[in-house]
Amino acid sequence: MKHMLKALALVLVLLFVLPYLVPAQQNKPMQDAEIRELLKKMDQLYRSDSSYAQVEMAITTPYWQRTLKMDFWSLGMKQTFIRILSPKKERGMATLRMDNEMWNFLPNTNKTMKIPPSMMMGSWMGSDFTNDDLVKEYTFLEDYTFQLIDVPQPEAGVLYIKCTPRPDLPIVWGWVVMAVRQKDKMPLHYDYFDEKGKLMRQMIYKEETVFSGRTIPAVMELVPANKTGYKTVVRYLKATFDTDIDKTIFSLRNLRTNM
Amino acid sequence: MVMLKIAFRNIFRQKRRTLLTALSMFGGFVLAAFFIGWSDGTYSNIINLFTSSQTGHIQVHHKDYLDRPSLYKTVDQLPRIAEQLAAIEGVKSWAPRLYSAGLASVGEKTAGVRIIGIDPAREIRTTDFHKKVYLGAVVDRDAENQALLGKGLAKLLNAGLGDDVVIVSQGADGSIANEKYTVVGLLDSGDEMNDRSAFYLPLKAAQELLVLEGRVHELAITATDPDRVAHVNARLEEALKGLDKNLATEPWQVFARSFYVAMKADKEGMYIMLVVILLVVAVGVLNTVLMSVLERRREYGVLRAVGTRPGRIIKMVLLEVNILGIFCVMAGTVAGLFINYLASVYGYTLPEPITYGGMHFQTMLAEINARSFYIPAVTVMVTATLVSIFPAFKAAHTDPARSMKLY
Amino acid sequence: MLFYIKLAWRNIFRNKRRTIIAGTAIGIGLASLIFTGAMMKGMETNMMQAATASFLGEGQVHGVGFRETQAVETVVTYADDVMAKLRMEPLVDKVTARTLSMAMITAPSGVNGVLLVGVNPETEKDLSQMDDTIQKGVYFEGHNGRDIILGSKLAEILELGLGDRVVVTVAQAHSGDLSQEMFRVSGIFHFNLKEMDSGFAFIRISKAQQMLGLGNAVHQVAFRFKQIKNSIDPALPLWKSYSVKGNEAVSWMEILPQMKAVADMNSMSVIMLVVILGAVVTFGIINTLFMSLYERMFEFAVLRAVGTRAGGLRKLILFEAGALAVVSIGIGLILGFILTAIFVKVGIDYRGLEFAGTTIKDMIYPEMELWQFIVFPIGVFFFTMVVGIYPAWVAGRLNVADALRKSL
Repeated sequence: MKHMLKALALVLVLLFVLPYLVPAQQNKPMQDAEIRELLKKMDQLYRSDSSYAQVEMAITTPYWQRTLKMDFWSLGMKQTFIRILSPKKERGMATLRMDNEMWNFLPNTNKTMKIPPSMMMGSWMGSDFTNDDLVKEYTFLEDYTFQLIDVPQPEAGVLYIKCTPRPDLPIVWGWVVMAVRQKDKMPLHYDYFDEKGKLMRQMIYKEETVFSGRTIPAVMELVPANKTGYKTVVRYLKATFDTDIDKTIFSLRNLRTNM
Repeated sequence: MVMLKIAFRNIFRQKRRTLLTALSMFGGFVLAAFFIGWSDGTYSNIINLFTSSQTGHIQVHHKDYLDRPSLYKTVDQLPRIAEQLAAIEGVKSWAPRLYSAGLASVGEKTAGVRIIGIDPAREIRTTDFHKKVYLGAVVDRDAENQALLGKGLAKLLNAGLGDDVVIVSQGADGSIANEKYTVVGLLDSGDEMNDRSAFYLPLKAAQELLVLEGRVHELAITATDPDRVAHVNARLEEALKGLDKNLATEPWQVFARSFYVAMKADKEGMYIMLVVILLVVAVGVLNTVLMSVLERRREYGVLRAVGTRPGRIIKMVLLEVNILGIFCVMAGTVAGLFINYLASVYGYTLPEPITYGGMHFQTMLAEINARSFYIPAVTVMVTATLVSIFPAFKAAHTDPARSMKLY
Repeated sequence: MLFYIKLAWRNIFRNKRRTIIAGTAIGIGLASLIFTGAMMKGMETNMMQAATASFLGEGQVHGVGFRETQAVETVVTYADDVMAKLRMEPLVDKVTARTLSMAMITAPSGVNGVLLVGVNPETEKDLSQMDDTIQKGVYFEGHNGRDIILGSKLAEILELGLGDRVVVTVAQAHSGDLSQEMFRVSGIFHFNLKEMDSGFAFIRISKAQQMLGLGNAVHQVAFRFKQIKNSIDPALPLWKSYSVKGNEAVSWMEILPQMKAVADMNSMSVIMLVVILGAVVTFGIINTLFMSLYERMFEFAVLRAVGTRAGGLRKLILFEAGALAVVSIGIGLILGFILTAIFVKVGIDYRGLEFAGTTIKDMIYPEMELWQFIVFPIGVFFFTMVVGIYPAWVAGRLNVADALRKSL
């Protein structure tokens, strides 16, 4: 009798204790809080209170290819200043955005032109980016609901998070699948789907580089999935974050400076 | 033939009766001819007014351009196309156009515009372009920095003659297009929506701005005879097929479909009116022919009494009616031609001009065409013949004694 | 006098066949004039409706300057007042309010510019044919402010189907701030007109006002008259009385001057047509009258021989012409009425135009108006009398002996 009870106790103990004795699995399920941290990092990847970057944007369309090199300053979420350095035809052009107003400076005609708000939704400089992309108002953390998912052919060591926009938000996507490297939480690619599940475009991140103490992918490739022959590649040449930036940069006076 | 002689003599015997019958045939014919010439002329007028004011009768584009316009869908090889156009008779004149979207800025004001590159000389010849410019002048062909603004656009930008306008757009090579131009003229095309965004540049300047050297988006073509547009279009299609498979040519009935549909509906209405008129003409002819045949029953009775066979009497009547008819138709054609000619040259001057797009339209002109003559001719002849058959038949077969007793 | 009239009546009925033939001939002429008059009116109305019924409306009220600049801030002042007053106008049939603004529609597949119209679905139905042209989905049911209806061509370009999600961006009034909202495609219309099918999108007006920061303001009050002919009357006091306090009221003619040009040309044609028809009918009268009178020269000679004076004979003939006119008018009125009434009911069918779609009403209905039944008969009577003068005069100068000779 005592024999049997002891055996039962052992079994029970084993049943409860056993799982904890098994060595930790390779893919430990992530907690909600961890995912939130991840998303926060993604949102903040290229953002900061202030930043300066020198960027090369290569635009490919079925009809032409161009590479623009520009200097880019930002202060908070609402102020940006861009000066184009090359090619020669566009050299000296500048764009200033302050809150909801946007101006272009065109050195060729020495003209400062205020852009009507309606024009601001279009594609930026013929690329596949829209102003919306450049001044991201919505964050994955706040404005989307998210969950880890499995994909049919997962790449090793990669996490896939499906982010669905909260209902009624003016976001056009059905959902976005973020592929993130688990090891160092670096984004690999974002896939944008429409509500019917059709892949509409992909943002691919490459070439992690350290800029000013921050490791970020230096290259972003935006490839639309619904039309062929279009691609925009943004490459960071230089970047500094959260340093003191001269506030006078964000002024019309600066805009009009001929280089 | 004896019958013919008799018929002729009969006609001239009773001058008054003949005259009256002839009058109804002749009068009806001329009036019907005039109506057709007039209403056809009115339609041609309207169609011309619209097509020549801006669009032309036929347009050539890249085959997908109308469906989804794009800067890159261009008409190339202009010199060779020009050759082809010159070879097709029926083409009156043509004008090339280049289109793009851009931003225009005058002083502090900015507006979205439609950039239109034109060849001024050709545009004037094809669409009377100069008539739409109400202030200033048309741009000069070789000018590098001249621009014409639509009325509404000028108002939006608060721009006047001599002001500088800066344009930003995107070139066909992806580069940012940016130039400054001087306003040399203002334009009122009659189309408010067009004028709110129309920005005209000389073609060469536009091609340079948009990096589209030697290329255009549209060719507007006017035909010498608006009625033969379909034919000219077909020939053009043939000619272009060999040159460039990507080109398409459409007549105005296709590219201005809504206008065409409206016109067609109206024309259907006119057909009904024509039927009504022809009916009344027919009735008039019927009336007089019938009466004249019926009134001569006694005559026929006498003829029967002296031995003429009924068949011959019928033949005689029909012959008379037809000879008279032919004569009236011929006289009517002469008179009708004369009247329609006067109407096509002098027309009717409206008390108030109709203005549209700088075109002042005050005189309504008739048109001379074949159908204004053969339709009334057929109507008159057929009616007269049909109408005389029955009474002739009756007269021919009535007992002569009875016929002669009618008085 | 009365004697001659009585005699005239009796005379024309003596030869029934001749009178009936003649009367019918002239009567048909009159009937055709009446029918033509009605047809022309109907066609005119039809064309005007084609221009205005699909969306434009017959009259519009805007804030001054809106037509030129389309500025979001330029609204109809005292819009509620304006609408209430318009609704009470005896000549006005339906009224609706709209907001109009340029907007960008973003779909997963791309972006497109569009004219965004904020409408009140109930009253909008009365002024535009959008509800009739819905190809897929429904025309504004329920109360969902996120419903959007767009054209078939636009849906094609942006690869959109029912229920698909789009983002609409507009610039707000005064601040110019961009305002974005999510909508779902609840209906797709097909006007078969490229401009409408690719360039227009409709949402509920309350949502539009909210997005544009307009409060309760609107850009346009569109209305329709009970009788479309009022819309082309520039002298109508209505235009002036609503063009006050910063507003301007215009008829569709000023908005679509090209249609006006066409309408003007059409009226000229109509007048021409009536003149020609009138000439044809007059010819008919001349012929008929002359024929019937000349045939009776023998009769008239007899009358003279027994003592009727020349003047008396003339009177008689004139009255006979008048009597014939009356008979013809009787026949003509009846025929004209029947003919026109039939077509008023049935309409004239343009089914041959298979691509007319719904933008042009495919039936034309002649319009019967009183003047058609008064003016034309009077004209016929007058002409008949005038035409009768010549034979009457000739009869009076008859050489009795000659005429009495019976001839073959």
